Amino acid sequence: MVFEQMKNALIAAATAAGIEQYEIYYQVGESISAETLKDEISAFSSSVSGGICFRCIVDGKMGYASSELMTEDAMQELVKNAISNAACIDSEDEVFIFEGSPAYAKIDASEVKLTDAVTIRDTALRLQKETYAQSEKVGDGTQSMAMSSVSEVRLYNSRGLSLSNRTGMSGAYAAAVVRDGEEAQEAFDFAVGETFEEVKETAANAVREALDKMGATVAPSGKQNVVFSGKEFRNFLAVFSSAFSAKNAQLGLSLLAGKEGEQIAAPFVNIVDDPMREDSPIKTPFDGEGVATARRAVVENGVLKTLLYDLTTAKKAGVASTGNGQKGSYASPVSIAPYNFGLMAGEDDLDTLLSKAGEGIYITECKGFHAGANAVTGDFSIESAGFMIRDGKLAEPVKSFTVAGNFFELIKAIDSLGNEVRWGIPGRTVFGSPDVLVRDMSVAGK
Amino acid sequence: MIAKALAQEALACAMSGGADFVELFGEITRNNSINMVDGKIDRVTDNLISGVGIRAFLGTKTVFASTSDISRAGLLKCARSVAAATGDLRAVEEKIVLCERMFPNIHPAKIIPTSVDARVRADLLRAGCFAAKEYNESISQVSGTLLGVDHTILVANTEGLYTTDRHIRTRMAVSAVASAAGVNQSGSASPGAGMGLEFFDLVNPVDIGREAARSAMVNLKADYCPAGTMTVAIENGFGGVIFHEACGHSLEATSVAIGASQMAGKLGQQIANPKVTAIDDGTIPGAWGSVNIDDEGNPTKRNVLIENGILKSYMIDRLGSRRMGMPMTGNSRRQSYEYETTSRMTNTFIDNGPDKNEDIIASIENGLYCKKMGGGSVNPLTGAFNFSVAEGYLVRNGKICEPVRGASLVGTGSEILQNIDMVGQNLDRAQGMCGSSSGSVPTDVGQPLIRVSSITVGGR
Repeated sequence: MVFEQMKNALIAAATAAGIEQYEIYYQVGESISAETLKDEISAFSSSVSGGICFRCIVDGKMGYASSELMTEDAMQELVKNAISNAACIDSEDEVFIFEGSPAYAKIDASEVKLTDAVTIRDTALRLQKETYAQSEKVGDGTQSMAMSSVSEVRLYNSRGLSLSNRTGMSGAYAAAVVRDGEEAQEAFDFAVGETFEEVKETAANAVREALDKMGATVAPSGKQNVVFSGKEFRNFLAVFSSAFSAKNAQLGLSLLAGKEGEQIAAPFVNIVDDPMREDSPIKTPFDGEGVATARRAVVENGVLKTLLYDLTTAKKAGVASTGNGQKGSYASPVSIAPYNFGLMAGEDDLDTLLSKAGEGIYITECKGFHAGANAVTGDFSIESAGFMIRDGKLAEPVKSFTVAGNFFELIKAIDSLGNEVRWGIPGRTVFGSPDVLVRDMSVAGK
Repeated sequence: MIAKALAQEALACAMSGGADFVELFGEITRNNSINMVDGKIDRVTDNLISGVGIRAFLGTKTVFASTSDISRAGLLKCARSVAAATGDLRAVEEKIVLCERMFPNIHPAKIIPTSVDARVRADLLRAGCFAAKEYNESISQVSGTLLGVDHTILVANTEGLYTTDRHIRTRMAVSAVASAAGVNQSGSASPGAGMGLEFFDLVNPVDIGREAARSAMVNLKADYCPAGTMTVAIENGFGGVIFHEACGHSLEATSVAIGASQMAGKLGQQIANPKVTAIDDGTIPGAWGSVNIDDEGNPTKRNVLIENGILKSYMIDRLGSRRMGMPMTGNSRRQSYEYETTSRMTNTFIDNGPDKNEDIIASIENGLYCKKMGGGSVNPLTGAFNFSVAEGYLVRNGKICEPVRGASLVGTGSEILQNIDMVGQNLDRAQGMCGSSSGSVPTDVGQPLIRVSSITVGGR
């Protein structure tokens, strides 16, 4: 097979160049999807993709090169480029080709397969019909999509480590556009599953959410009690998770540097990173360096228990790698990232949180994190939409306001947590959060 | 990359499912990136992207397949999967005859970045990063990236087109963090061009580093921006992100053609203040967002989108053209062969207007001057947008006063277009990466200094 051929070509080229420490990382994937418009399939696509990354240590420096072109010539080029790239590095951080962990979690990949094209089309089409059937206000622009993907990773290195993992998922979404007079609104919902029956609730969810937004006005400015829906608060975790990277901490790019063992959040705040989370179809038993992964309490009762480490940052800090040296794709250099990074649930249901808030805003939509939030400083100012909370109950929809603050102050100021964690669309890195009540947030609207 | 005979064979095979049009897009891209942090080069990577995407049309329905396996077997497997998904297989394949075509290269690059020794390129990045670090002792951390892209595409289709294009891009990004008393503030600069390393004859890496550090130092001294509705002046260059987000995305056929844009059906209508003329121009020589041909093989154009406030044109790809019954505008773009191409912006900007820059500032009694903008996003359906202010100052009695940080601007496209009531004369463009359904593509944004009479400023 291709991997074995390319591996042998790389080993031969590396050996000929006198390279003793190297790693070969191979990824191959397949995906299919169907998209609808009005009442028919408007687009069907499929892809086969794969690439190989070679990295090696030359004079204590790590050089990388990667390619999608799987030919023996291309492999020779990879070894040559990786060697010359290593020669440019002047970082003195110690780098590693890993010998292997004592044990790795076993994953049953026997169920992992690509959903067939007929099912994918059927799911997308029926979901689209179901979405239109929810309301007469559903109209042009409404789209449903069903998709399936599988991916396989192989890691082989000069210290004899040989690992592989296969993951896959199928899912569908409905994006509903509703109109009433001049006003248009849209909302989106995603569910994991292959058949229409498994994902059909996304139609009702998307339409209900879009209809609920109709008639929204600009929220009033001022200090407000805010309940963030878990679906949105998880995006805060996504943006600010980089502050938990030991690399950023060591570079002075994280305000969590040196805070391990200290109280950084309210005493009931628990944040966990779980690469093998049971409900997730994507499970990752080893990281991009071959280190075994494990469930970790990152924040426990508000105390920062650990940052996330790869081999290089762990060595520098005198600790063990937490198995967070990920490769975003085969071509990416190792970089620290979490897997299933979640703020754990508290005790309150939504009604209780709203009643605790009394007066304020329930935020159900936040936009533009890439621009409006700064992981280095913790500052954020985020375009939001949601509903007023009046007398402890949801009231009229509001939009076009910003909620602003500082993440590191926010996690200390959390008042209460909801009792259900809402996870994002499954992937190698996913974030989850329950609803979160925070008092006296700065809101800018009219 | 893909010989003409093989392209003909693959197109014929893909067409055999009953499609009325098939296109093949091939790509070989060499990306090189050098990263520096903490005064040291810490990563150097090379990545070769190579693959093919084949798309079939049946009216306004599409079937798309892509593969990184560009052997004959891989290509024909990909083509067969397109045919199978299009409809019933016909017994006989039609013969496709391709005719090779060359388009003029209006963005010639001289020094191909990926062919220059990485150590030489690393020195350019060092110069930028060291300049930022040396700017002030409060600069606590500097990181930087030098990116070189050598992108060759091939487009062949069943109308007989067979053409290739090569596009070189260079960009340096420097980000500086200034620290004092437990507070971190950042600043950045990231110019780029559709050029080779000769770009650094025009832009000195030292100036890139100094600019990032200067902005970080301003923010370190800034207090939080007050929130509320204000009159806002937005400076040239990256300030154009306001138009990109608030209006540009809503003019892409991707959303217009399916009725998911607030701008659908508004051609010929006054959608902006009469002082606003906006243009998308993929032909600006050597610009970051320029290409000779788009990813469907059409030469790029200068498209006037809005003239004196009146909507004149959308940005239209082949699918959008079929759906809307309007001609293609040379705006079809994709991140790579793995993405189905769609209508995207190239270099999009508000043109110079009638107002003197000093009059714009002098006209503001109480407001905000946004010297540098960060990124933003928009919902094309509702036009709701947000973008962050990377460097801002309060304006009182027509004078620029103390700096403020953490501000963002939110509103809707239709409102802000009417509220741009003064347009200055110092048009400049700046570089960004724009994300949408066909992936991340390089685009320029731009404008002269403009005044927005009223907009919501998020702060605290």
